[in-house]
Amino acid sequence: MATPEEYQIASVPITSHTFNADRSQLAVSLNSNDAQIMSRQGQEWKVTETLSEHDKLITAIDWAPNSNRIVTASQDRNAYVWQQTTDPHTGRTVWKPTLVLLRINRAATHVKWSPLEDKFAVGSGARAIAICSFDPENDWWVSRLLKKPIRSTVLSVDWHPNNVLLAAGSADMKARVFSAYIKDVDKRPAATVWGEKLPFNTICGEYTSPAGGWVHAVGFSPSGNVLAFASHDSSVSIVYPGGPTIINVRMASLPYVSLIWTAEDSLVAAGHDCQPIVFSGSEAGWQVIGSLDDTTAPKSSGGASRFGASGVGRLNSAAFNTFRNADSRGQSSPVSGQTSTGTELMTVHQNTITNVRPYQSQGGSVTKVSTSGVDGKLVIWNVSNVSGGGGLVPRLSGMNIK
Amino acid sequence: MSHTVDVPQSIKETLRTFRFKRRNAGSAALIVKINKQKLIMEEVEEFEEISLEDLAEELPENSPRYVVLSYELNHSDGRKSFPLVLINWAPTSSEIGMMTLHASALFDFQAAADVSKVIEVRDGAEGLTKTYLDTQLGVR
Repeated sequence: MATPEEYQIASVPITSHTFNADRSQLAVSLNSNDAQIMSRQGQEWKVTETLSEHDKLITAIDWAPNSNRIVTASQDRNAYVWQQTTDPHTGRTVWKPTLVLLRINRAATHVKWSPLEDKFAVGSGARAIAICSFDPENDWWVSRLLKKPIRSTVLSVDWHPNNVLLAAGSADMKARVFSAYIKDVDKRPAATVWGEKLPFNTICGEYTSPAGGWVHAVGFSPSGNVLAFASHDSSVSIVYPGGPTIINVRMASLPYVSLIWTAEDSLVAAGHDCQPIVFSGSEAGWQVIGSLDDTTAPKSSGGASRFGASGVGRLNSAAFNTFRNADSRGQSSPVSGQTSTGTELMTVHQNTITNVRPYQSQGGSVTKVSTSGVDGKLVIWNVSNVSGGGGLVPRLSGMNIK
Repeated sequence: MSHTVDVPQSIKETLRTFRFKRRNAGSAALIVKINKQKLIMEEVEEFEEISLEDLAEELPENSPRYVVLSYELNHSDGRKSFPLVLINWAPTSSEIGMMTLHASALFDFQAAADVSKVIEVRDGAEGLTKTYLDTQLGVR
């Protein structure tokens, strides 16, 4: 049984993380205006480069694996596309930014490259999604806005495998599927279950969250025929557009903020509960399978990482440890210096998980996922390592066919 | 007055032949663009008879163009006339440098084409409709 690989990247929240194609490098935004590129060195991740160009907090980053470009979106209403070039003066490879004018008048919240990496979608607080493509005639990135009928901030976007359809979850409590077909960039897509002959800004489906909560995360299944969304009313909904059948799984735990599909019949969701949960099912119904986190025992690895060799330098000094120990003095301290006090959570992540990404795939399904969260940790989980019960409240509700 | 973009003699000739060609039916269009590297005007394409929808298809979504249009206008009293209009095709998603060049050279181009009526189309393909042109030219 593989235990999850845990890395304490920073002492501040990780806003967003994304890996490059071979998983040797990581681009993160640490709650700041700059993005850091980290490389794996031994058992740790060390910062190798800083991308600074934004004036305000970077809210989302995405790394295109094939074309090796990074797109960063920020609260300063801009996005930059970064490309690796050789600096003529020093000869080193540097990341060169290209500004993308999104023409939105509020912050950008989420960004995703399309499957073919010729477009990217930026969700924003301006009640619009900017679809950006490269215009070779003018040598710059052009954005077109998807506006109707979004009534509030767009919280997340996800592309369909056909490079044209886009799912968006928004704070107006709806998950929608749009057509983001750009003339001269896309070829006419084949008909899918979502419709055919779709000009730009056509709505292919609009789904409300069951108890009315912000839709935090959306995701298309690997084939693109099923849509899942997680909303703030602690539910995960799975939509089969053929029926249309909408299956709601209402949880008694805290809401999920991020989700990804691992196979055509299973997905991983994570959020305020600080642990990734696996769901599985089909058109007949969906259930919770279990958690990827073993929450039955306090994490000895968690204790070790606080006192251990890894981690940020500042937190490892002897002086800091003295103060930390002073805090626990007087409380019943169990064996071998491990402070399992009431303040440490039983899960690996000590705070909300904000981002779940696929880490490793095999044979069409994802075998490992990576999560990052507000506690500054990056953890890589093995998807098959599911432990049922434990920290989960085992109450689920069943199907709700509309 | 300073001239940012030159109007070459060949363009002036093309404009003149376009203007004086006899038309019986349909709308004809001449599309001209600015070559940013050489800073001159260039003809892109000329259409003998084209509908407005096809014309909107031909024009780029993200680049400014000048379109000299011989528009088939049907008056309310049954008359048909073919006025010459200059469409300033300037979508807002175009690159800023091109937009500025385009705007600065509009006056010179209008003088070279000798067209009195200029219609602005700023929102791309949705803005180029028959109803819009008719209202602009003063016909119900």
